[in-house]
Amino acid sequence: METMNKLGRILMVEDDPKDVELTLIALQDYNLANEVVVTRDGERALDYLYCRGEYKTRPSDNPAVLLLDLKLPKVDGLEVLKQIKSDEKLRMIPVVVLTSSKEEKDMVASYKLGVNAYVVKPVDFHEFVNAIKELGVFWAVINQPPPGSVRK
Amino acid sequence: MAQPKLRFRISQSPVIRYGLAVLSVSVALGGALLIERLQLRNIALFLFAIAVAAWYGGTGAALLALLLSCMSFAYFFVEPSHTFYISRADIPYFILFALFAWLVSWFSTVRRRVEADLLQAHDKLKIEVSERSSLLNLTHDTIFVRDMSDSIRYWNRGAEELYGWTPEQAIGKSSHELLRTVFPSPLDDIQAEFLRTGRWEGELKHTRADGTEVVVSSRWSLRRDEHERPVAVLETNNDISVRKRREQEIESLNQELAKRSTELEAINKELEAFAYSVSHDLRAPLRHIAGFTELLHKKASTLVDEKSNHYIGLILDSAKRMGNLIDDLLTFSRIGRTETQKTQVSLAQLVREVLIEVRQDSEGRNISWKIGALPDFYGDRSMLRLVLVNLISNAIKFTRTRAQAEIEIGCADGNKDSLVVFVRDNGVGFDMKYVGKLFGVFQRLHESAAFEGTGIGLATVQRIIHRHGGKVWAEGAVDNGATFYISAPKSQGQLWRP
Repeated sequence: METMNKLGRILMVEDDPKDVELTLIALQDYNLANEVVVTRDGERALDYLYCRGEYKTRPSDNPAVLLLDLKLPKVDGLEVLKQIKSDEKLRMIPVVVLTSSKEEKDMVASYKLGVNAYVVKPVDFHEFVNAIKELGVFWAVINQPPPGSVRK
Repeated sequence: MAQPKLRFRISQSPVIRYGLAVLSVSVALGGALLIERLQLRNIALFLFAIAVAAWYGGTGAALLALLLSCMSFAYFFVEPSHTFYISRADIPYFILFALFAWLVSWFSTVRRRVEADLLQAHDKLKIEVSERSSLLNLTHDTIFVRDMSDSIRYWNRGAEELYGWTPEQAIGKSSHELLRTVFPSPLDDIQAEFLRTGRWEGELKHTRADGTEVVVSSRWSLRRDEHERPVAVLETNNDISVRKRREQEIESLNQELAKRSTELEAINKELEAFAYSVSHDLRAPLRHIAGFTELLHKKASTLVDEKSNHYIGLILDSAKRMGNLIDDLLTFSRIGRTETQKTQVSLAQLVREVLIEVRQDSEGRNISWKIGALPDFYGDRSMLRLVLVNLISNAIKFTRTRAQAEIEIGCADGNKDSLVVFVRDNGVGFDMKYVGKLFGVFQRLHESAAFEGTGIGLATVQRIIHRHGGKVWAEGAVDNGATFYISAPKSQGQLWRP
């Protein structure tokens, strides 16, 4: 990890605290968990990205990757994705849809809106942990994020 | 047709005819002599006599009358009197007289011939009309004739039966007023088309004598006279009220069907939403059960006794099994919901792909594969792939107890309408007694401890093949292998190319 010592910040949009906990456990193994910001709904996610509301005072840099659930309270995942991809300043943020839905229409809608990856959360714990780890390592460590993202 | 007041008929008897000639000339001579006495010379009387003879006696009588007239004239009125001598100077007068006489008798002959023809035609027409009327009365169709001012001229028995007016009541009335005709388009347009083409067909609504309405299929034909002037309209009507009512019934049934279809669509949408919710919401808690049980197992395995570890293992197993069930059920329900996207699919290529996919299941096994020539199939690629995955992984699964597994995939001889693809194995087989249960949802013929599975795979296969218009069936014997067949019609869009 010497050459990849700069970790990107991960914004996770997930309403289910159990899923958040499992995801954080999976990310802990690579010490990625400390750099995860969690918002519980789509509205707060947009507040974070636009530095408004409770995130008014945060430094105005973009996360290295956004892990987005689709089924969210208030503003749902597809709407968040749509707003990000239609905003000149935000569209470069890699967005990974991380969902329970295997439905084709969700997949098609996400890709049409320009999602960077679509991952169905595996039911099996080991598969789940592996998937999250790989995602975290790839997007927060291996992938070179667009300029303006947080690196530590 | 107006009856002529006078009837001119040539008498059949020659005696009467020629006697008439003599009589008429005699009367003329008498008259002439009388006039002569009165110093009035007039040959017109003789011309009249000839005319009468020609009229009533025919050409022969006219000739006789001419001869007698000339002789009488020569004898009584031409000098020298009382002789038949005619001076040369008088001859032109006689010729002139003869010419006049001929002209008069010719006219009368022609006139009579015309009269006779007319009478004959009239009689013929009368016979014809009465014959036709009786013929038209035989038909069940409603037929009436109206003139160009819409006045009814003829009314057959069918018309009387359909509308309830007798010919006496109907004839002379305006048909459109009597029947209160409702036209499908403006009457002027219909009339214009009718006069142009001489024919018209359409549906009319009429009102009967008893006030009830009747829908008729109406055909009009235009009758023209020899100068091509329209004179009458023959209207033939067929009662289609029953048919119309049926049509309306069908229409309302169709509407009902459309309503049902909309309802079904709504139910289907609901079902889709339900499946979506199952897909998303049922999976999440399951993942949590599996995840946290796993974490518990990790942390506590050294602290708790063996029995507790065993229980934890059972929870994990069940969670995994439920996950598989949800996935398979969702796949099964999705096949019923999604549209098939048909393309030309090479089954040979698809089998190769599937074999790579299931390689994991057959690792470390000794399987001899026999893949025959496979046809192209016109169908939904991902669905057909699912069919092959299910059949082939079943074959791998149920040959697990064999030291040397044999799996054959090939194309069997179907009849000329369909072709058949089969997957055969030498595995544990099944009892043909239970063959009916094989393709049902959640139906399993083996205990899950021996062969894992959700019992949805073959139901999915059947559903896919049915959606492609084909059939599935199986043959097997306990401990003696099984063969699964899928067929699809060659017609109805399916293209097979062995």
